[in-house]
Amino acid sequence: MRRPLSFAGIMGRVGDLRPGETRRTVLLFLLFFFITFPAYIIKPVRESFLLEFNPGRFPYADLITAALIGFVVSLNATLLQRLRRRRYVTAVFAFFMASLLAFWFLFGRSWPPLAFVYWFWSDVFIATSVSLFWIAVSDAYNPNQAKRLIGIFVLGGLLGGIAGSLLSLSLVQVISTRNLLLICPALLAATMVTANLFYRDLEKGREDRPPSGGVPARVGYFEGFRLLRGSRYLLLLAGGIACAMIVGKLIDYQFKTVSKFAFPEQDIRTSFLSTFNLGLLAVSAVFHLFMTGRVLRRSGIRTALLVAPVILILGSAAAFLVPAGLTLAWAIVVRGADKSLDNTLNQSARELLYIPAPADAKYKAKMFIDMFVNKFATGFAGLLFLLLYQVLGFDIKLVSLPVLAFLGAWILLADRASRAYVGVVRKDLVRRWEDGEDIVARHVDVDTTRLVFDTLQSRERSATLYAMNLYDLLRKEDLPPEVRNLLTAKSGEIQARSMDAILETGGETFAPGSEAVLAEDDFEAEIGEIMGLPSYREVMESHIAKVLAESREMEVSRMEAAKVLGFMAPTDQTIRDLTLLLQDSSPEVLNYALDSAARLKRKEFVPFILRHLGHPAVSQIAADALVVYGTRVLGTLRDTLADPRESERVRRAVPAVLGRIGGQGAADILQESLAGGLPELEEETIAALYRSRLDNPGIALDESLVKRIVLRQVGQGYRDFLDALALEESGAASDLSCAGTSGAEIKRIFDLLSLRYSPDDMARAYQNLCQGTRKSVDYALELLDNVLDPEIKGFLFPLIEDLPPDERARRLRRLRRPLEAAAERRP
Amino acid sequence: MNIRTRQRDGVVVFDVEGEIRRSEVSDTTLHQLVKNQLESGRRKLLFNFAAVEFIDSFGVGEILASYISTQNLGGRLKIARISRKLHVVFQVTMLTKVLEIYDSEDEAFQSFGRT
Repeated sequence: MRRPLSFAGIMGRVGDLRPGETRRTVLLFLLFFFITFPAYIIKPVRESFLLEFNPGRFPYADLITAALIGFVVSLNATLLQRLRRRRYVTAVFAFFMASLLAFWFLFGRSWPPLAFVYWFWSDVFIATSVSLFWIAVSDAYNPNQAKRLIGIFVLGGLLGGIAGSLLSLSLVQVISTRNLLLICPALLAATMVTANLFYRDLEKGREDRPPSGGVPARVGYFEGFRLLRGSRYLLLLAGGIACAMIVGKLIDYQFKTVSKFAFPEQDIRTSFLSTFNLGLLAVSAVFHLFMTGRVLRRSGIRTALLVAPVILILGSAAAFLVPAGLTLAWAIVVRGADKSLDNTLNQSARELLYIPAPADAKYKAKMFIDMFVNKFATGFAGLLFLLLYQVLGFDIKLVSLPVLAFLGAWILLADRASRAYVGVVRKDLVRRWEDGEDIVARHVDVDTTRLVFDTLQSRERSATLYAMNLYDLLRKEDLPPEVRNLLTAKSGEIQARSMDAILETGGETFAPGSEAVLAEDDFEAEIGEIMGLPSYREVMESHIAKVLAESREMEVSRMEAAKVLGFMAPTDQTIRDLTLLLQDSSPEVLNYALDSAARLKRKEFVPFILRHLGHPAVSQIAADALVVYGTRVLGTLRDTLADPRESERVRRAVPAVLGRIGGQGAADILQESLAGGLPELEEETIAALYRSRLDNPGIALDESLVKRIVLRQVGQGYRDFLDALALEESGAASDLSCAGTSGAEIKRIFDLLSLRYSPDDMARAYQNLCQGTRKSVDYALELLDNVLDPEIKGFLFPLIEDLPPDERARRLRRLRRPLEAAAERRP
Repeated sequence: MNIRTRQRDGVVVFDVEGEIRRSEVSDTTLHQLVKNQLESGRRKLLFNFAAVEFIDSFGVGEILASYISTQNLGGRLKIARISRKLHVVFQVTMLTKVLEIYDSEDEAFQSFGRT
């Protein structure tokens, strides 16, 4: 659908504005507009005044700025720390307004060094006001939110720049360069008012950060430097910014040198510079409308950071191929490319890098970087240019050699910074809860617990069964001491008291005379020996056969038989007997029979065990038995999964068994099942693969298959949401949680994503999306935005972002067909 | 075993009556009922065991499976009014380190508000 050319349509092209964000976004749009508007009058004026000398003066001006800016950094940071934002912006802009008037007055006195003073002042003005703007963005927005809206703010800046350039271009020949300064105080007044309105709006939301009160934190050079040194992330940011500044400055010196010789007369030169700035801003605005948001949303911050240096490498290298007559054109193109990318994509990406940084860094280090590092880099570029151009006598095009070197460094640092950005975002996302399986595994021995409950139950049914269960329990090496103590206490009196509460013995011991036996150290060995005797085996086999033949009604006898068979060595007879018991109708008998089958691990038992996966009462114990068999039953499990004639209950239980068996073989079978597209098994298969991958991160998975299944599940999420919305609209109740659709559905999607991406990242993102604060939801989205495949991201985000239902429904309906096509696509 | 569900203050209460044992299970188990509530988006669940006389190993499995399913979706499953006898067994087997058990429903509801 083509976006209309209305204000909302244009805003929609450059940003993704959501309900509730309009007022603040418009204020920031206007703030940036009113910051760049006077800046693009002040800049050509300062350049024109300084060019009255020769281009060689520019580096001196930048060096002076670099030397003095530290004091401004200290003062500015102190004011930021001590004053509420509104008071700060009022003070700062009042100062700039007054000083502009003073400069206008002093320029009338024709004092040549004033050009340097004005140069320094304009650097401070531009750095301070632009920093202030980005601090405002950081105060108001979280990373993902800022990324959605940054295109709108930057558009305001571009339009302000266009307005400033147009105004200076149209008026300079009429009122002269000096008198252009008189327009700026009025514009700065508008800046001040807009900033105040913005912070008043922010204060209403209690998001303004008042000064800390008491002893202020240390600010200035050393504090900023300390923060930088202590953070690899900030060092990478600062390094990349420094390289970008050096490159930009060298290209700027090249451009100014060429334009000085092309336009010797001041007013014509001012006119040219204004025309250039205007054209530059128009190109930037067009580029911004069509590219900035698209690159940031689709390709991410890393690509956005690398576009500028890559293009400038081509431009600077072209210096050696361009004929002399086209030097001005080349300078215009390269300078134009540098500034337009810097005004749009590069600036946007660079400012976004600050947002997830800790609060200290966001304000103090940013101020330090924006002013001191920038100016230091500018001063360094100035020195370098002086050395090459004036001392060594380089041709202006040869200055492109160091430009290319710094572009290489810029690319390296930008790449590292963008990778580190993900780590910074990740650090802010904490896991909100642990997996249930992990908690249970840490605290509870499930097998022992089940045996304790079976033992207690069996006491009511049969002394024999009870004794056998006790024997089983006491053999366990990791039996909790509380249980062992209760069962082996020698004193009858103590035993009776302690057991009374559990077993309701009424003061009698649980099995008369057995306490002494149970306390013996070689009890286990004695029993084991007895059970191993051939004579014992014969007696028992005969007894069991009799039980099975004659005791159909006596469930407890069959339970005893099933239990004891697990202690005996497997013979043909015992296998036959246990096979019979595995077909018993009583769940109590099956419980013991399945347990014994797991001990003996004979392949004859497998089909019977499998059958019981579909029986709710014994499904879990049947699954436990198959897990004990391990990889020996993989073939059988694969066949069961693939057999449509097999009971659905059984088939649905198989994936969990495969997941617990683990290993590559089991994972392959689960993937085969997913690829087979059996929706009735998908939920269990995904859960099993997820657990399997957590337990064994080394298993290899088919990434393209995982992606297809993710998209299929996302499609299911689309359908669920649209169906639920239709229900709500018709007046029926529906209960949607976790960003508008069933939380279990979203969990499955993230379990699948964990097969392809870091499970820890996916768990953090999922948990914070479901239960996080507004900030952590945004960080979760930002983490996913930087980590996920663009296609997956494009389809998933409309399902999980915080959107009004009708907007979500609109987006889902628009994406439904492309999603279905993507989910069916094979590599 | 009979299971009735009701809602109170945003919490789904499962009133379980009888014995949670494998010989008395129906087609829809306690865990399945819990999963149904989770699929509907409910996240606060409470087992009222005031009328539960007996739990066997199958019952323990159902309780643990219900706990795991709820926990994995960021929900909370608690137990109220368990008999003294069962509580002692739960303590001895360390189940109380995983499951939150309260003497009364009101205490359990208050704890949902705190978490």
